[in-house]
Amino acid sequence: VAAILFQAMAVIVPEGQAVLITRFGRPLRAATTAGLHWKLPWPIDQALPLDMRRRVYETGHTEMLTRDKKNIIAMTFVVWRIADPILFVQSLGIGGVADGKLDGLLTNAAIGTLGGHDLSALVSTTPADLKVDQIESELLASTAPTALHNYGVAVEQVRLERISLPEENVTAVLQQMRAERGQFAAKYDAEGEREASRIRSEADLQAAQLLAKGTEEEARIRGASAAQVAKIYSAAHRVDPELYRFTRSLDSLDKLVTPNTSLILRTDSEPFSLLQSKAP
Amino acid sequence: MRSLGPPSEIRRLATPVAGLFDAAWQRMHWWIAVMAILYVCSGITIVRGDEVAVVLRWGRLVGDTPALQEHGPGLLFAFPRPIDRVVRVQAKHVSEETIVALTDQSPNEDVGLLATLNPLTQGYALTGDQNIVHAEVVARYRIRDVAEWAFYGPKADDVLRLEVTAAMVRSLGEVGVDRVLSDGRKDLIAAATRRAQAGLDRAHSGLELASLELTRLAPPLAVAVDFESVQSAFIATDTKKKDAQAYAETVVPRAQARADAQLQAARADTASALAVATGDASAFAALEHEYRDNPAVVRERLYRDAIDRALSVARVRWVPPPTNGKYNGFRIMLGSPAAGLTTDQAKQKAAQTEFEDD
Repeated sequence: VAAILFQAMAVIVPEGQAVLITRFGRPLRAATTAGLHWKLPWPIDQALPLDMRRRVYETGHTEMLTRDKKNIIAMTFVVWRIADPILFVQSLGIGGVADGKLDGLLTNAAIGTLGGHDLSALVSTTPADLKVDQIESELLASTAPTALHNYGVAVEQVRLERISLPEENVTAVLQQMRAERGQFAAKYDAEGEREASRIRSEADLQAAQLLAKGTEEEARIRGASAAQVAKIYSAAHRVDPELYRFTRSLDSLDKLVTPNTSLILRTDSEPFSLLQSKAP
Repeated sequence: MRSLGPPSEIRRLATPVAGLFDAAWQRMHWWIAVMAILYVCSGITIVRGDEVAVVLRWGRLVGDTPALQEHGPGLLFAFPRPIDRVVRVQAKHVSEETIVALTDQSPNEDVGLLATLNPLTQGYALTGDQNIVHAEVVARYRIRDVAEWAFYGPKADDVLRLEVTAAMVRSLGEVGVDRVLSDGRKDLIAAATRRAQAGLDRAHSGLELASLELTRLAPPLAVAVDFESVQSAFIATDTKKKDAQAYAETVVPRAQARADAQLQAARADTASALAVATGDASAFAALEHEYRDNPAVVRERLYRDAIDRALSVARVRWVPPPTNGKYNGFRIMLGSPAAGLTTDQAKQKAAQTEFEDD
């Protein structure tokens, strides 16, 4: 008997759930804390379990205009949970679905909020321009009070999930990307030429400097050598200038007369004349 | 007080029922005792090695903190239902989810070559410089807080997909396409992971991201060729630089070698010239010593030796002395020396020429 009474009157509310107790179909109270609760037996009281866990809802693609008159397609999602079970059931019915209501709220909020910001607030390489956190906060502020007041739903987060462009704008973006790539390719090509030319020029300059330095050093060595040689010959010259000049003249003769040299001598001169003269 | 009737009547009705219970107990008391023991023991649960268990008592979570709530592998003693309910979770298991919301999911690959993209079927993200990229991400995650995951958080797959997608869109939206396609991937992954984890925490998902892995990050197929041409230009640029560096690495050492060779030659010539000069000076000193004693003989000998050397080397033409001190119609033909001939050959040729002249 005790077991039957327990079964009829005890309501076990597990974690993550709430139980709405209705008396003759009229919502009486909500048991939102986990644990053991009581109700009168059927048919007087009835217990309706409600899932109190957080849920996510993803809106569809919504096209809208930014402040700088650019068309974008945005998708958002919300994290929500039932905050007021009685209001939730009353506004959406038993087993009601909040998704449709949230979709309308979010779409209106997104159109209004994003219309107050430029596209650069969503995508930009300048950190100061980006205002995604602010936009999400504005979306939350626009939807959360209404959802709570009208449907007993606590909207805890609103996030921008995706940002796209209408198909006709994508064509222009792709053309722009193509043009940019062409510019980059030309730029890389020119930079490569410039850099290669710079490296070659620097190498040529360095080589010329090395050769010039070598030539300079060579001239210095040869100059010093010539001076030293001249000093040696001068010393020899000072001993007997007349003899020195004579020997140098003979040396010059040796150098001047080669197999290509033609000497024209008269037969009456030495040594040919010796053949014609009588013995002494 | 209302009377319930004569006691004798109740006893008369209850006696058969009591007899039945008494007879049943006498016959089945062992079975009932065993069933009662089995019922009490039904609360004992084995938690496996990769699991974590939490206990709900009358629906309420037992323990105030995660450390007190969660029970590791082993035997877990709990009361039987409906008092206690044990929830076991594979918390240590790393799960994987592929996020394809930002990829081109159109079934026909040719669609990707068209000059536009349909955001409904061809997911993409805008970069900070408003270019378009496709991204596919693999998210690996585990359950960090069992109670949040089991009782309070949204469905893991849904919230993970949405948070990672939003984090990727936001992270891609703050960097340029060139950076993100080249050396910015690491930073992109780090930023997206941080943002996705923050979102999962705010949603009380109880999940922990183990890693995010970019399995695809590429521009749309329609402009893929243009991106490849930039890559080719970049490689060509690199090649040009390397060629120039190779040239520099050749020409500079070569110049250094030439300069060194010049110096060595100069030093060698110097040594040679000095040696010659010193030798000449020594020879002259010796000659001068001899000359001092016999100047005429030395001078005559030197002269004769030089004339001999000259006559032995040069081509000599002997001509008769002039008649009456004057040559009339006398001609001498001088031929050019034969190129490439040795000294002896040149002299022989000269002799022939002379003979012909005669």
